[in-house]
Amino acid sequence: MSSLLDRIARRIRALRNPDALDRELAAEMHAHIDLESQELVRAQGLSPEEARRRATLAFGGVDRFTEAHRDERGVRWLSELWADVRYSARVLTSSPAFTISSVLVLALGIGASTAMFSAVDAVLLSHLPYHDDEQLVRIFEQDSPTNRWTMSDVDYQAIERDTHSFSAVGAARPGATSVSAGGDAERRPAAYITAGFLQALDVNVLAGRRLTLADEQPSAPAVTVITEQLATEKFGSPSAAVGRTVTIDGLAHQVVGVLPAAHASLANRQADVWPVMKRATPKRRGPFGLFVIGRLAPGVTMASARRELNDISVRIFPEWQSGFQDRAARLTPYGLRETIIGDASRPLSLFVGAVALVLLIAVSNVASLAIVRFMRRWRELSLRAVLGATRGRLVRLMITESVLLSVSAGVLGVALGWLGLRLLQGFVTGIPRLSEAHLDLRAISVALTVALLSGIAIGAVPALRLLTKGADGLRDGTRAIGDGKLTTRLRAAFVAAEFGLALPVLVAGALLLASVARLQRVNPGFDSRDVLTMTVGLPSATYSDNSSMARLFTRVSSELTQLPGVTSAAYSTAMPPDDQGNNNNNFNLVDQPVAPGAAQPTVTWPTVTPEFFGALGVPLLEGRMFDASDTLKGIPVVVVTRSWAKHYYPDRPAVGRELISGGCTACPHTVVIGVVGDMTFDRLGEPGEAVFSPLSQGWGQPLFLFVKGDDRDGSLARRVRDVVHSADAGAAMSTTISLDERIHSSVAAPRQLAIMLATFAGAALLMAAVGIFGLLSYAVALRKREIGVRMALGAQRSQVVGSMIGGGMRYAGIGTLVGLSLSVVASRWLSGSLFEVSAVDPATLGAVSAGLLGVALVASWIPAMRAAAIDPVDAMRPE
Amino acid sequence: MADRADLLQGTLDLLILKSLALGPLHGWGVSKRLRQLSEDVLDVGQGSLYPALYRLEDRGLVTSEWGTSPEGRKAKFYRLTAAGRKQFAREQSQWRTFTGAVNLILAATQEPA
Repeated sequence: MSSLLDRIARRIRALRNPDALDRELAAEMHAHIDLESQELVRAQGLSPEEARRRATLAFGGVDRFTEAHRDERGVRWLSELWADVRYSARVLTSSPAFTISSVLVLALGIGASTAMFSAVDAVLLSHLPYHDDEQLVRIFEQDSPTNRWTMSDVDYQAIERDTHSFSAVGAARPGATSVSAGGDAERRPAAYITAGFLQALDVNVLAGRRLTLADEQPSAPAVTVITEQLATEKFGSPSAAVGRTVTIDGLAHQVVGVLPAAHASLANRQADVWPVMKRATPKRRGPFGLFVIGRLAPGVTMASARRELNDISVRIFPEWQSGFQDRAARLTPYGLRETIIGDASRPLSLFVGAVALVLLIAVSNVASLAIVRFMRRWRELSLRAVLGATRGRLVRLMITESVLLSVSAGVLGVALGWLGLRLLQGFVTGIPRLSEAHLDLRAISVALTVALLSGIAIGAVPALRLLTKGADGLRDGTRAIGDGKLTTRLRAAFVAAEFGLALPVLVAGALLLASVARLQRVNPGFDSRDVLTMTVGLPSATYSDNSSMARLFTRVSSELTQLPGVTSAAYSTAMPPDDQGNNNNNFNLVDQPVAPGAAQPTVTWPTVTPEFFGALGVPLLEGRMFDASDTLKGIPVVVVTRSWAKHYYPDRPAVGRELISGGCTACPHTVVIGVVGDMTFDRLGEPGEAVFSPLSQGWGQPLFLFVKGDDRDGSLARRVRDVVHSADAGAAMSTTISLDERIHSSVAAPRQLAIMLATFAGAALLMAAVGIFGLLSYAVALRKREIGVRMALGAQRSQVVGSMIGGGMRYAGIGTLVGLSLSVVASRWLSGSLFEVSAVDPATLGAVSAGLLGVALVASWIPAMRAAAIDPVDAMRPE
Repeated sequence: MADRADLLQGTLDLLILKSLALGPLHGWGVSKRLRQLSEDVLDVGQGSLYPALYRLEDRGLVTSEWGTSPEGRKAKFYRLTAAGRKQFAREQSQWRTFTGAVNLILAATQEPA
């Protein structure tokens, strides 16, 4: 046992301190030679010099002796590896230009891959922060594969009462409302939830208790759960918050529990307060708007839950048929995780594709550089082969060098990946859970694995050349092997591959940029200049009836129009250009109804004051605008946009038509009184269909306030807030955002996608250019003599330039052709993210190809000019 | 000079152990003792001797330390360890059994019955 430990200790010593052992070996060797020569002098009477000479001769080669001893130490392969690493490091530091550029190029590729891995891991692969998250579902109303919407009280209560498939179901009504804890009311994100919501997610509170079914009773005191952040902000600590009072929408709620900071959002819905949702007694099937989740009971499959929900849908339909005639609507469960990920997989898969291509280009680039270096070192390798290095030893040397290079790049790449992920999180909005991404050990191991594989791939090319040609070829010392056609062709293939891989990334970037440019040029139908917007919410406890709301809102708007510079002030329940479906309503035309039981058409249906159209510069085209005669007691009236009128009444006037709103057959028919210009509420680029009701026929809140006015000194927002606050100190206002800003941010997601892709495309383009530049520069150096001879024989400089550029362009051309076909194949990935641009748009494909070839031309031009500048006399001088 | 003989594979360790069993020696001393004891028939090359010594040391059969030789020069002395002694006894008896058997075979004059 101890001898085993001794041996291990000796080997470690041998490895850590080979020099000391070698010194000891030398001392022992000298002792041997001394003793032998002494013996020779004594026994044979030789002169000391002669004795020494014989003794040394008898001893044999010193190196052989040392090597044999190292073998006995059993660390030969390790010490050789170490020697290779040190040697490679020396070689790499001796050519800093190659090393730095290769490490940088690879590190960029690896860093981008690492950042993307972390993002994909957090968004698409990782679990939700709830136990057994695959058991969690979200339930929608759905009447066709593409049309699903939120649930109603009727739906929720039916499921809660009848289900056997779920161990818990919960509902939330997310939104924003005024919240105060002693001080001023602030507009904060809030979500009313049922007790089942926390139970289904199985989230525990940090302090206090969760909500209970008893809390949902209308007679029970109003209670709420709040976030740790709000508790700390308002009350100092979570435990101090329990039992305190928070006023939510004007109503005092007692804090009964505090959610831990890790659950600042629940099921991807963010809110500061989670007050209990009181049990309602529904009078009709709608309105919808409930966000409902459930936890599947143990052993229940999604399919059986779907069947049970289907049965419930069929059972509740007849009871509420008078107000809801969509017979096809079914309660339908979806995995909660997949509903949260939603569309995020589309931009992410684009990023991943682009990053993979950029990484491949980086590896091709460095591999192609490595071949050049390999050829430059042909003589050194030949010498080593002659001195007895085996083929395997040389291959190992090549691989060691490239792996050393790529692993250094990998380490730098991890740092770049960390930075890249931060940038991605700061820059890209609207991808759920991206903020949770971080660079963990797995990401680091992915980075290093990618680095290792890249290194092996890069070293494999020269190594394979060595294996196929063999060390014998090296020993012949023929340069021809190293400079052979095959090697050049191999490099050319790499360069062509770089162009082929770069083109799809460039095409994607160009198409997305073109698409965003078109989106930004889209006419939203209104004039967004000089319009400030904000949300105003009144405490519902104080403003419970129509007249109190009407009084306050009218007073505020008339005071606002008195402010200097303000030309008009208006209210709307919907915010253009992207209202996110918050004001959708279904309707049925009285003169051309849909078949009984069929789904009715839906449209964005904002409720506004008549000033809304003036403030946003939307013209009245036909009929009349809302006026003082349109009151709560009058016939319900609407104005419609031109697109809506054209859609439903293509060849007849729309004014005077009647429709049934919201499936309410018992209500009086709604009459169309006017047609206005198109304006979009369903994202830029969508058709501008909308129907507007007047607020004078029923006030609601919160409302969006639009103030059109000159804001040259930037004080308008403050002055507007002062007016609202002086009208009612309890009114809660959101931050002020200009309408221009809202239009800008409504295309933020496609713009971010386009900029990301364009960045990758820039990197790809740069690498491809460097690749072709390197190839041709080397070719010029290699063919210096040949070019000199041709010029001496009368070749014109222009011919030399032409042949060099022609050579470069051939590879670029082949690569571009390959890239074009790749782009067409990959186009369907892209088509969903484009607006009014075809994924195989010939103009874009042509322009990008031409641009790529143009860059190739420039990159070829410089080495070609260098070739033309060769002095024939100088070039033909013997080496 | 008498005829030289090549060393049989695997016997060098045994011979070194034997020479060290008689007392500690430096490397040159081992080679001289082997030459003397074999009456100049066996001459172990340094290229084999020193690796073998290192191998034995690595296996824990011998240890080494620097000392002064009777000739008055600093040299590295090798000595058997307890394990080395045991190993020597084992290898010696194996060798005797083996050579005895070989001798029996070579001495045979007729087919066994």
